[in-house]
Amino acid sequence: MSGDGTPILEVRDLRVRAGERLILDGLSLVVRAGEVHAIMGPNGSGKSTLTGVLAGRPGYDVVSGSASYLGRDLLAMAPELRAREGVFLAFQYPVEIPGVNNVYLLKAALNAQRKHRGLPELDAFEFLNLVRAKLASMRMDETLLNRGVNEGFSGGEKKRNEIMQMSLLEPTLALLDETDSGLDIDALKVVAEGVNAMRGPGRAIVLVTHYQRLLDHVVPDHVHVLAGGRIVKSGGRELAIELERRGYDWLKPGTAAA
Amino acid sequence: MSVPAPIERIAAAHARLAPRLAGGAAWARRRDAALGSLVARGLPDRRDENWKYLDHARIAEYAFDVEPAAPADPAAVAARLLEVAGAHRVVLVDGRYDARLSTMEARAGLEVVDLAALFERNPEAANSLLRRPGEKADDRYALLADAFAANGVLIRVAAGREPSGPVCLVHVATAATPAVHQARVVVDVAAGARCTLLEHFVALGDSAVLGNLAAELTLGEGASVSHLRLHQHGPEAAQVETWVVRTAARSRYEQHLMALGGRLLRSNLDLVLEGARAACKLDGLFLVDGERQADFLTQVTHRGPATETVQDYRGIATARGRGAFNGRITVEASAPGSNASQSSRNLLLSPLAEINARPQLEINVDDVQCRHGATLGTLDDEHVFYLRSRGLDEAAARSLLTFAFCRDLIGRMPLAPVRDAAEALVAGALTDRGPIRSAS
Repeated sequence: MSGDGTPILEVRDLRVRAGERLILDGLSLVVRAGEVHAIMGPNGSGKSTLTGVLAGRPGYDVVSGSASYLGRDLLAMAPELRAREGVFLAFQYPVEIPGVNNVYLLKAALNAQRKHRGLPELDAFEFLNLVRAKLASMRMDETLLNRGVNEGFSGGEKKRNEIMQMSLLEPTLALLDETDSGLDIDALKVVAEGVNAMRGPGRAIVLVTHYQRLLDHVVPDHVHVLAGGRIVKSGGRELAIELERRGYDWLKPGTAAA
Repeated sequence: MSVPAPIERIAAAHARLAPRLAGGAAWARRRDAALGSLVARGLPDRRDENWKYLDHARIAEYAFDVEPAAPADPAAVAARLLEVAGAHRVVLVDGRYDARLSTMEARAGLEVVDLAALFERNPEAANSLLRRPGEKADDRYALLADAFAANGVLIRVAAGREPSGPVCLVHVATAATPAVHQARVVVDVAAGARCTLLEHFVALGDSAVLGNLAAELTLGEGASVSHLRLHQHGPEAAQVETWVVRTAARSRYEQHLMALGGRLLRSNLDLVLEGARAACKLDGLFLVDGERQADFLTQVTHRGPATETVQDYRGIATARGRGAFNGRITVEASAPGSNASQSSRNLLLSPLAEINARPQLEINVDDVQCRHGATLGTLDDEHVFYLRSRGLDEAAARSLLTFAFCRDLIGRMPLAPVRDAAEALVAGALTDRGPIRSAS
């Protein structure tokens, strides 16, 4: 699937520190409208740092390089501004927030975005109908709406909830951080269907994953291997299959590429 | 020349005022005895372990020696009362029972008696009904209330009865000028009776009024009381209160303490689970912003066997707010098979805010299950980021998370108008005045 080729995300030579440690060390990546990119890599290679930095998670120092979103300096924007402009991060570990209703958060999130774009807020009826449809598509129970955010959810429910939020907010750039981890095969299929339903010409999706099994269901246009804080190899879907077969060791810095 | 110490001003005010107070000779003798005892012992100060976090200097600024002005117009008071459907209303204006503003139905098994009238009619009965404060060091503000008490109120629920609606005990401070008010309240819920008791503290104006309440509640065997306490004073008002609760066998007492207003609140609870299988559930919340202070002392004693306490207290401090929770649960040797859990969770939202939490357990018998814990923390950064990543701005995210911290406590109160009022007060503190915003 391809879009009009407009770059949605352009990361140039990004170097990022967390505390004393340099996590991203010269990472470059261009993601165009309509594309799905998979970023794979061993644990500790910087995958979650990449999505975190792009979404605006605090605690990182950008040492050098840039990231632009639709031509704008993404790193200069507050996290909420990124969200309202259409960047969405599906968390690897979605937090539980007892006392904040799911439905309240969904409504606040959607209305913050609509207000930012000069659109009227949805009325309660329209909003509930929309949310119910999204819940149904993720095979989630409506009773979850009036529970605390992710409160008492199983791991799979949390991940489905992330994808449900994504489908409600319809981002231009979706960053999925290990959304497949901790899912059983049925939940993985539901999540994959949710992601596939989001594919479209105006949207870019970046999937960060350790294993290629999600990629059996969400077939990427591009696959990148992240190691030592930079992309060491890029290819098509066949690269993911090769990684599954050979592991990551052969790609580690200092190892001769085969 | 410096201002005389409160105790000297109290003695001087007593000399002027006491002869004119209601209740006849019997009550006058009690008042004199209470004053004598108080003067001999003095008010608590920061050298007293259980009073060390309280802003005594601030309390000393209140007008202990000013004669109370005439109470405000009843219509102005009526306008501030919380609308609770079907409620029986008992109103204390500046510490005095006001029958005109009160509504109640005797048929409901409910009796409201003006203590002054009772003292005049039957001084012995009155004296035996009213606890004499002063045995404990922490009881000295109760002694102060006793020294000035007049026109207090006795509320009784007859055995086996349940009033048709909640009993609303409203404490209204009406003074337009600085003043100190003393109030005396006795609540007696007889065996097998049930009652929802709402106390609502409001101030008509912004003046520097200190209210001092000494109150006691007795639950008979198998009685059940749900006690809601909503503090919503004016910005310069202060309140000191001492509730003494005694519960007989198989009785159930629950309290919801919401300290959501006022310049300073000191709340003392002395609760003894006297009878076997008596149980209490204590929820408490303070939210201190600006330069406000809330200071809770709770002392729960398990005396009867198989008694139970569940205490869940929370505090939120922002700006220069100061909060203290000092909670002691004592399980006496006579209380095997008891259960006690005590939790104190606290949220500090500003570097200048302060919270002191001291949960304490003293266990004098085997075969009990007790646990306690205290936490003090800030909002979780990952929670804030999660909400921001969904498009909420930082101030909204912090307000929402702070609200979430206490929402279930508010939600556990049985009366919807009180829940709504408490939610509005919390939301107002978190958004209108913007302390959360400035905290980040």
